[in-house]
This record gives sequence, C-alpha cells and structure tokens, in this order.
Amino acid sequence: MQPISRRLVLAGSAAGAASFLVPVIVRSSPTAPPGGAAGYEITDWIVIATSEEVTLSLSQPEVGQGSYTVLPQILADELDADWQRVKVRFVTGKDAYKIAFKNEAPAQKEGASMSTTVFYKRLRVAAAAAREALVRAAAERWDVAVSQCRTEKGFVIGASGERLSYGELAPAAARLPLSTKPRLKEQSQFALIGKPVPRLDSRAKSTGRAVFGIDVAIPGMLNAAIRMAPSFTGAIVAIRNEAEILKRPGVHAVVRIAAVAVANEEPGSQHPKITSLPRHNGVCVVADHFWQAKRALDALLVEFDSGTQGDLSTAKIDVLLQSALDGETAVAAVNIGTPKEILRDKAGSVIERRFVLPHIAHAPLEPVNATASYKEDGTVEVWGSIQAVTACQEAIAKAVGVAADAVTVHVTFLGGSFGRKIVPDYVVQAVQASKAVGRPVKLIRTREQDTQHDVFRPNAAGRLRAVLDEQGYPLAVHARVAGQSLFGATRKSWLDQTPEGAWDESMVDGIYNQSYRLPNFLVETVDTPLPIPVYFMRSVGSTAAVFFWESFISELASHAGVDQYLYRRNLLNADPLALRVLDAVAQASGWATTWASHLFRGIAYNCYVGRGGRFKTYVAEVVELERVDGRFRVKRVFCAVDPGLVVNPNTLVAQIEGGIGFAMTTALYSRITFSNGGADQSNFFDYPLLTIDKMPEVVPVVLPSDRAPQGFGEVVLAPLAPAIAQAVLQATGRRLDVMPFPDAAFAS
Amino acid sequence: MGTFIIDVNGTSRSVDVDGDTPLLWVLRDNLGLTGTKFGCGIALCGACTVFVDGRPLRACSLPISALGSGKVTTIEGVSGTEAVAVQDAWVARDVPQCGYCQSGQIMSAVALLKEIRKPTDRDIDLALNGNLCRCATYVRIRAAIHDAARALED
Repeated sequence: MQPISRRLVLAGSAAGAASFLVPVIVRSSPTAPPGGAAGYEITDWIVIATSEEVTLSLSQPEVGQGSYTVLPQILADELDADWQRVKVRFVTGKDAYKIAFKNEAPAQKEGASMSTTVFYKRLRVAAAAAREALVRAAAERWDVAVSQCRTEKGFVIGASGERLSYGELAPAAARLPLSTKPRLKEQSQFALIGKPVPRLDSRAKSTGRAVFGIDVAIPGMLNAAIRMAPSFTGAIVAIRNEAEILKRPGVHAVVRIAAVAVANEEPGSQHPKITSLPRHNGVCVVADHFWQAKRALDALLVEFDSGTQGDLSTAKIDVLLQSALDGETAVAAVNIGTPKEILRDKAGSVIERRFVLPHIAHAPLEPVNATASYKEDGTVEVWGSIQAVTACQEAIAKAVGVAADAVTVHVTFLGGSFGRKIVPDYVVQAVQASKAVGRPVKLIRTREQDTQHDVFRPNAAGRLRAVLDEQGYPLAVHARVAGQSLFGATRKSWLDQTPEGAWDESMVDGIYNQSYRLPNFLVETVDTPLPIPVYFMRSVGSTAAVFFWESFISELASHAGVDQYLYRRNLLNADPLALRVLDAVAQASGWATTWASHLFRGIAYNCYVGRGGRFKTYVAEVVELERVDGRFRVKRVFCAVDPGLVVNPNTLVAQIEGGIGFAMTTALYSRITFSNGGADQSNFFDYPLLTIDKMPEVVPVVLPSDRAPQGFGEVVLAPLAPAIAQAVLQATGRRLDVMPFPDAAFAS
Repeated sequence: MGTFIIDVNGTSRSVDVDGDTPLLWVLRDNLGLTGTKFGCGIALCGACTVFVDGRPLRACSLPISALGSGKVTTIEGVSGTEAVAVQDAWVARDVPQCGYCQSGQIMSAVALLKEIRKPTDRDIDLALNGNLCRCATYVRIRAAIHDAARALED
C-alpha cells in the first residue's frame, strides 16, 4: 500500500489556499462548514467535518449538464457517505483536477463530453481510498481487523454492530496513508450510481439564488460595458469625445482594450493572414453601474478601421467553399480500396449531392461576462462563468504579464456555454479594465457584443458521390468536406499529419470514422482559412458532417428502393452495438407499422466517437413530422442511445431532451453571415432560438450497457437534422441540403 | 440623476439613478436582487420577467421613471399558492439545466396559473413562448406547469 499524498488538516475552514470554495449556491453563504467545525481533508476530493458534513470537491464546471450532481454522486457512492449530509464546492489548483482530451497538456477544463467518462474511475478510486482510511481508523480504534468492519451511510460498523461516524473518524483518517489501489464496489453494491438522483442545484436555480458569473459582486467593484471593432481584423483609429464622456455621472474611465491572443489568434495556430498583435480592438467605459457604462459607451464616438480583412463577406466565403469542393487540392483522411477508379469508370451512374452550413454562434443565455481584480502585488483574481480554468489562468498571465499561478479563478454556475466559455477573451478584457482603473471590474458584453464577437462554430460544405452495387448498396463512396478548419485555426497540434498535408478530424467527425460497410471509400478535407474567430461548439463538426453523411445515406437508400431503416441495418450488420440502437429506435417509433397519413418520418444514426477515441456513444433517432394548419412541424423525436453505464438517468434524459431542442435551433434557425469583415446578426430577432411552442415531444430509449460511462452531453444533436430532412423529403419532395432549413420547406 | 421611491417585494426602496435606467439594472445593480437576469436587453428572451402590479413584464425594457407606483415582484419575492406550486414542481421535475432563464420561466408560469387554473398545451405555448431557454428544457417546463396546475386543484 503506497501513500499517495500527505493530507493537510484544515482547522475551521474547508477552504485551503490551493482549493478555493466559491459560494455558487447562495449569495453570501458561508465558505466554511457551518458552526466552525473542523474540516479534515481525506483526499483531494473529500473533506469531512466533525459535524458530519461531507464536502465533496467538484472540479468540472456546471454548465447545465449536471456535473454538480453526477460527479459528487460518484464520490458519495464509493465513499458510502450519507447523501443528505453532502455539500459540493468548486475547486481548482491541484493536478488531480486536470484532464486531457487528446494529446494536449492536462488542464482543468470542462468539454468534449468528457467529464463523467474521465472522472468516473478517478473519483471512485479517490473515494474508495478515503473509505478504506476511515475503516482503518475505526479498526485501529476498536483494535480489530479491517475485514471485520463495513461502511454504511456515513458510518463504519463493526462486527458486533458498534458504530463510529465519519465525522468522529475524520481526524484520525486524515493522517493515514491512502491506498492507490483500493477495492472498488461491485456494481451490485452501488447505492447512488445508476439511480435518478435529483439535481442538487434545482432549488437554488428555481428561486433565483444560484449565483452565475453576472451575479458576482465584489467590494469596491465597478461595472464596464465594451464595444469591439465590428471587423475581426479591425482596430481603434480614434475616440472623438472621450473628455466629454468622462464627465458623465458615475463614469470613471474609458479604457482601450488590447486584442486578446486566444482562440485562433494563438501563436502557432494562427492563420497567416491575421495581422500581428498587439492591437487595440475594443473600448470599454467603466462606471459605477452597468447602465451608466452602457449609456456612456453608446454615446462614445469611436472610429474603427476594418483592418486587413475588411472585405470578408458571406458571398466571398461561399465562392471559396464551392471552389474547394471542386478543386484539385484536398487531403485524404481515409482511402480504402479503389474509390477514385470506380467513380471514374462508372461516371454515368454516380449519385452526387452537395450540402452547406454557415458559421453559427453559441448564444448562451447568459452573455459572456467576468469580474476581475488586478492587484498592485501582481496577483489577479477573477470570478465568473468560466469553462476552462487553466486556459483562463494562462491567457490572463500572458495578457497582463503575471505568472499563471498568480491568477486565482473562481468559477460560478455557468448560464449556458456550449463551448463558448472555454475561450477566456472576455475574462482577459475584464482584467485589462481592472488593471487600468486599479479597482475590481465586472465587464458584461451586451447580447449584441456577445453575438457579434462570439468564437463561432465553423462553416462547412460537403460534396458526396457514390456508385451503388447491383443490390443497391454502396460500391464506392467519395466524401469531401470543405470549410474553415477548427483545429487549423485553434489547435494545430490536433491535426492529423499525412505526406500530402494535414487534415482536421472535426471536419469529418462521423464520416471518417463512420460505421457502414463500404468496400471502397475516400474521405477528403479542404481547409479554407478565414479571419473569423472560431471555436468548439456542442457536438463540434458532427452537426455538419453527420447531416451530410446521413442525408446522403438516405439518398442512396431511395435510389436502391430500400426502406431507410432496413438499408442502414444491412450496412451495419457487422456492428452489433450499432444495430441495437437502430433496432431500438425503430421498435419504439413503430417504424415497421403503417402510420397515419398526416405523419411523415425520418431516421438517422451516428456513433459519436469522443476526442482521441476516448469513448463511443451510439445514437439513433426517428423524427415524426406532422401536418398541422397547412404546415409541417416536428411533432415527436424518438431517441435511442447506448451511452455505457448511466450514472444518473435523470440528468442523462435531460441531456436527450435538451440536446434535441438545441439541435432544433441549429437545424431551423442558426446562421451567422458576414459583411465588411464582421458578423451581421446581433440579437434574438435575427439570431433566434427555439421557443416552447416549437419543441417536439421527446421519447428517450436508454439501453442498458456493461460498458463504462461514455460521453453524452453532445451526442444526440447530430442525427436530428438529417432525420428531419428525410421526413420533409417524404412529406413534400423537397431536398434540404442547406442549414438552417428554409422556413418555406415546411409549407404543406 | 433622480431619486425614485419604488416598491419591490413589498418593501419601499429609494434609489438614485438616471430616469432612463431600466428596472432590470436597478434591481440588479442598486438593490442586489440578481435573481432577475439580463439576456437580451430588448424584451426578446424573457430572462428578466418580473411582475408589476401582479402582471408579468420585461424589466429590461421598463425605464425606472415609467414605473410610478407600480408594485414590483421579483423571483426573490414571488409568493402565494401558485408560486409555491410552480417552484415545487420545477424542483420535483428537475427542470433547470444551466438555470439562467429559469427565474423568468417561473415568473411567466406563475402568471399563467394565476390567469388560467388548468392551462392547455396551447395556453402554455402562448404564455411561455417569450421565454427562451438555450438548454431547451421545454419538455420539463411544460410538464412542471401541468404538475403545478394539478397540485393547485387539490
């Protein structure tokens, strides 16, 4: 048995210097266990107070996905804690809290549907080691063998029924070495894992008490509003009436904000056409109250130039995409058999389709904002809705010239993120403002600034070609996807290198690693670099690639004259896990039965492969389209999933429901267009979100599995659009090959 | 700048602000009532829904100078049988995901149940379609409103 750490014994407070508690539940709540009881840190994850309160550490930000409940649930189960006495605190600062998705350095961050997948084992080992330490402490007290002791709901129980509480044992247990290989529970022994445990944050979020970044209040804090150059490559040329604006009541300062080196402006991941840094591309007004700051900013006369790429426009992007689809230059991601030769030899019978999708914005309902305090001693403290702690520390350190470990990050609840709040540009802007005025500053982007200066999900276009065999199944398929490469723009080390160039797996997620039986298969990508800030967004490239791919499979099935479900079934017959979800969704939706004449259906399948091949989640969906009042609407969505072991069926089903709704917005509404170097849309009138009256019924089918927990937050999104498109084709004969789908396509 | 005496959650409060300051920012910045959220600033998302004299209203678009003697109720002060039923149903269904829009959703749901004791799906669509939820918790919002209506029958 190897001790893995010596544990600090904390007197009076659960908050050590390194792992900081943020009062995310209730404003002005105490940060220490109530009653001043001593808290003993048993592991990096568990503090037990003599009052019996168990404080569990949460290192993965709560963005809505349920980490705040699910990860503590894993710890509490393996610890055998009393769930009713559990509290959760958000922590930073230890290596145990860091993870990597692919080949990057470990960092504390939430994303890539990885929280439960990565932490399931780590948390169980930590909690089991803590449980063993508590048992050993009791055994020593009783002078019996540990094998004579068991644990239950916060107690160690001896052979003759004697009991010692975890609170009584915590001081002794905190001094014992921890096993690195504790015995984990058998699945049959789980008390919480696998149960639909209610969320720990529902009451706070139903009473206005949950604290989000925008709600943070720090003593002495000022408020800032920001306006950024409309063109992505633009900068401030002049500010005309600064002196006049400074005279307005409550206004403290006008601060020029330096362009922030984040997202695709990272050195080494930078597109060559982006101008070199630094440049001032934003200005903020700092005032006592936000409304004073916003009104003063509205009145501030700022002249921006548009920089080197002021001619960026959607028209130019479209031309670029189409020529990339037809050009000579592409990088092969997959090349099996002799697809090119077959397609050339049978040119007369090639089936071809083209697709295109725009850039889109994340649009979390809480606009990006942050509170920062730059202090004279060179340390920085920030509070807010932050999805990636380490990246935030590093970006601030670089921007204002301090050491990364001099930056303390306090994470609140996030009012939506979907990938947006991984990029800490808005936090760095708040730090710059605080440094300029010498006081803590909360900087809030208006909805307009949030939308226009998002880090957008990249665009994509697809050209798919195939030749069928005599039975109507694919003999050769060629898929080419073009667009602004996400990895090329933001994370070059994640590109796959080949002799003919690099390719970006996110552009073809769900195509290059697809599951259908294809004897001759060519997948190509073409990067069309653009000066548009881009970043990961929930379901990343799969929303585009799976739309192209499954729509094309539907096209092939139509040509073959085979039922859509049976066609896919035939092509997946070597993949039992794929067949299982496909069959489950067909059965749940009554696919084989005759359905009413006002209903039309579409089916789609995808296996979502986690970044770095870390997980595989199988998903199949059936969309039911209904004719009502001269229009078609998505009435119901059946969604069958195999996500491995489900830690919490309650939060998992919520991800199915919400994921379908999120994908509805993408399919029906989301489009950012560009002119004069910047984004055109600004608020919900031109960038709408799904409303409750358009939300379909959702029928979840969760298949039992012996596999470990697989990723889930993003997986149900991608198959929805192709399933809708197939149903619309059935209903109206219209082919939907452009997202968002035109409203007119749903006229009956 | 002017001094405005306003009634918020049954308490008289005095604030010194410009008359064009929206009620939302008075609540959040001056009174520290942060349960009411900023989402769009132009009455399109419903995150800032409060009651003025018992009727739902978007606080981002009501200048404080136009409030007059209107009695303001926020998520922190909402009470009564409908509010209890709605909030209990919200918790029992685990409606919130990120939770940011839920104060506004709940205020709209309480207002609906005060008007219509037994709302249909169509009533819910009409009353709630101005409250956006980016997490799309709409399935559970609808179910929770029906639950609350049933609880109010008992």
